[in-house]
Amino acid sequence: MAMDAKLVNPFIDAVTTVLPQMGFPEPKRAKLYVREKNAVSLGVSVIVGFTKQIRGNVVYNMTEDTAKFIASTMMMGMPVAEFDAMAQSAISEMSNMLTANAATNLTAMGLEVDISTPSLTVGKNFQVKISESQYLTVEMDVGGNIVELDIAVEPQ
Amino acid sequence: MEKVKVMVVDDSKVSRAMIEGHLKKTNFEVCASAKTAAEALSMYAEHRPSVVTMDMNLPDADGIECSRKIRLIDQDAKIIMISAMKDASLVSAGREAGISAFLQKPINPNDLIDTMMILCQNKVGRVAVLRESYAKAFVRALQQGLTSLVGITGEADLELDERRFLDVSGIAVIIGLTGFPVGRAIVYMSEETMRKFSAIMLGEDSAEGLTEDDASDSVEEAANIIVGRGVSNINDVFKDKEMRITPPGTICGTNIRIASPKLTTFKITAETRIGTICMNIGFAEGE
Repeated sequence: MAMDAKLVNPFIDAVTTVLPQMGFPEPKRAKLYVREKNAVSLGVSVIVGFTKQIRGNVVYNMTEDTAKFIASTMMMGMPVAEFDAMAQSAISEMSNMLTANAATNLTAMGLEVDISTPSLTVGKNFQVKISESQYLTVEMDVGGNIVELDIAVEPQ
Repeated sequence: MEKVKVMVVDDSKVSRAMIEGHLKKTNFEVCASAKTAAEALSMYAEHRPSVVTMDMNLPDADGIECSRKIRLIDQDAKIIMISAMKDASLVSAGREAGISAFLQKPINPNDLIDTMMILCQNKVGRVAVLRESYAKAFVRALQQGLTSLVGITGEADLELDERRFLDVSGIAVIIGLTGFPVGRAIVYMSEETMRKFSAIMLGEDSAEGLTEDDASDSVEEAANIIVGRGVSNINDVFKDKEMRITPPGTICGTNIRIASPKLTTFKITAETRIGTICMNIGFAEGE
C-alpha cells in the first residue's frame, strides 16, 4: 500500500498552524485527490524529501501568481512583481518551515523522520515523478490562492 | 586544494599513528609529530600548523604547560587536548591555557575531525571542507557509477557552482540528503543523453524502441545508485553521521530552472561519448 491517508493530516496541520503565524488568512482544506506517479507542476514546485521511518517526497505546488502572493505576505506585504531570487527564497523557506512542522507532527505520531533541503523548480509544462504508484494531493485554499500538496510518503 | 596542517603532540607512537590514520581520508594532513614539549615548541614555530592535538602527559611537561607556551608563540593557536581523563579541573585549567577543545581517549575519529573542522573553519573555509570531505565523495561515486552501469570511463570535473539556477532541458533527478550535512543532489542530462544512457543500461542496441518512461526510469535508478554510493563513501569516513538519501523526485521537461536558495553547491561534470552528464550537490548552511 503506497499511500496512507493518516499520513496526510500532519501536513494539513502544518499548513493550518504555520501559515496563520506568518500573517496568512486561515488556510482551508479544499479538495483531495488520489493521483498516480507524476505531479504536474502548476509553475512553481518545491520538492522536499523524507527519510527514516517515513520515506518519500512532498511537493508544494502552486502557480507563479500564488507564489508571488505568498512571498509578498511573508515579506510583510512588500509588493512582489517578479518571482525573483528573494521571492524564491521566501517560498523555499516556507516549504522548509511547513515540512519541519509536519515532521514534528509525524514524530508526535511515533514516526521519527529526517527531511532534506527544499529544491524549488520553476518552469512551464513539467512533471515531477514522486511515486511508483498512487499518492495523495490536498489542495489548501489560502485566501483564495490554491497551494497544492502532493504527498507521496510511506512508512518503512 | 591546500591541505590543512595539523601538528600532533604525543609521546606514544601508537597514538600518533592512530591520529594520522583518522585524518587520512580528510583534508587534514599531519605536518609535524612531536614527542616532547620541547619538540612541540620548535616544530610549532617552524611549521605554524592550523591546529594542534595535545596529549596531556609528555615526558618533559604536561600538555597544559606545553599549550601555554605554544600560545606565547602564537596567541591564535588552535589546540585540542586529548587525554585519558577529562574532569572539570583539567578543562578549566586547560581553558585558561588557551586550549579550545577537549577530547577523551580513545578518541572517536568523527569527533576529532568535527572538532578540527569547527576550529579551522575560518582558516580553511567551509567551502573547502565541504568540497574535500563531502563533494569529492560524489565525484568518485559518479565515476564508479558510470563505469559500472554504462561502461563509461573518464574524468569528472568538480567546481563550486555559484549560479543561482540550474537550467535543465531533459531530465533532472532530485535526491534529498538528510543527516549531516543536510542537502540535496541532482543528476541531470539532456533528453538525447538520457535516451542513449538508458539504451546502454537496458542493453538495447538503439534508443528508438524505448518509451519515455523506460528512459527516465533508467536514469532515475542510476542516479539513485550513484548518489547512494556517494553517501556511502561519506559514511565510511564519518561513521556516525548516518547521512541518508530520500527517494528520488524526477523532473522531465524543457527549460526548467531549479533553484536552491541558501545552499553551497558544487557542480560535477562528466563529458562522455553519449553527452554531458551533470551532477549538482548542495549542502545547507549552518548546523
